[in-house]
Amino acid sequence: MLPPMRNDRLLVGLAVLAGIVLIVIAIVYWVEPAKSLPSFFPGHQAGSAHHHVKHGIAAFFVGLAAFVFAWFRTGPKRTAASPS
Amino acid sequence: MILASLITYTQAIILGLLQGVSELFPISSLGHSVILPKLLGWNIHQNDPYFLAFLVATHLATAIVLLIFFWRDWVRIVKGIGRSLRDRGIDPDDTDAKLGWLLVVGTIPAGVLGLLLQDPLRHAFASAKSAAFFLMLNGLVLFGAELLRRRAPQVNEDDDARIARTVGWRGAFGVGAAQAIALIPGFSRSGATMGGGLLVGLSHKDAARFAFLLATPIIGAAAVLKVPELFGHTGDGIRGQALVASLCSALTAWFAIKFLMRFFETQTLTPFAVYCFVAGAACTIYFFS
Repeated sequence: MLPPMRNDRLLVGLAVLAGIVLIVIAIVYWVEPAKSLPSFFPGHQAGSAHHHVKHGIAAFFVGLAAFVFAWFRTGPKRTAASPS
Repeated sequence: MILASLITYTQAIILGLLQGVSELFPISSLGHSVILPKLLGWNIHQNDPYFLAFLVATHLATAIVLLIFFWRDWVRIVKGIGRSLRDRGIDPDDTDAKLGWLLVVGTIPAGVLGLLLQDPLRHAFASAKSAAFFLMLNGLVLFGAELLRRRAPQVNEDDDARIARTVGWRGAFGVGAAQAIALIPGFSRSGATMGGGLLVGLSHKDAARFAFLLATPIIGAAAVLKVPELFGHTGDGIRGQALVASLCSALTAWFAIKFLMRFFETQTLTPFAVYCFVAGAACTIYFFS
């Protein structure tokens, strides 16, 4: 098992990475029509010119939440009620 | 002209009045808006684009009423979130910040599940028959929540402080995710969140308050994203009716919140459970006979 400090840094790193990936996904949703989305993306539909704006908004906000999580985890330590 | 007969003003008024009440009472607004037209023999179908746009306008009205009703709370909550971001943590005594982040944590799964499952679930369960059956099951869910509720010790703090201290992060996530069940016509969003609130230890009054706070961003966001369709081709022939229905919905939503906040000071979900079970069973038998 990793010592607490390393564990925390790993968690923060993963959260930042997840945040970046999700915001990139959001941009892909906004820019590309449904037919051009990678086939493993929810909303991919061959031949459709529809833009999944709402999927992009959801990915953006979840990405933002990942950044907020990292922001809190790297803040000063508190005794209780920190979101983890 | 065909467009003029999509929804009449009388139908719009009835649907608007019903929406305001049924969105906030734990009895499934979507279920009622599918079942009622079928019972009255109206030629309205749940998956028609114009009807979805019409319903969204009434949802927006409900969300605005919720926002106005809890405006002071929202101001405190948003300030709390701002404080916690500035301080890079949540002060144990800052219950506004804690409540704000609980609402964020609860809204994320509801939003994501809503986006992923909305279309498939609505298409799979669009009929009045399935809505009636699920309304019956909604009654059982409410019964179950009453039976399994966890009775946490109640302390004399203000409402939001009590909610913030009782609900944990996992609880908020679970209660938020439970809202996704309301994508199936017949299941109630507020019923799911109130039931979830009871399961994590909230009192009936606090569970209702948490459910209404949790409902505001998700109903509002869904409506704001969909409302532009009303101003396009989809809204032709129903804009006036949607406006009238929205005003009716806002009116009944206001009284519904006032009523429910007092009702849950002393009462439980059981009357709504009985109503859903009996009405759902009766409609199921009627539609299948």
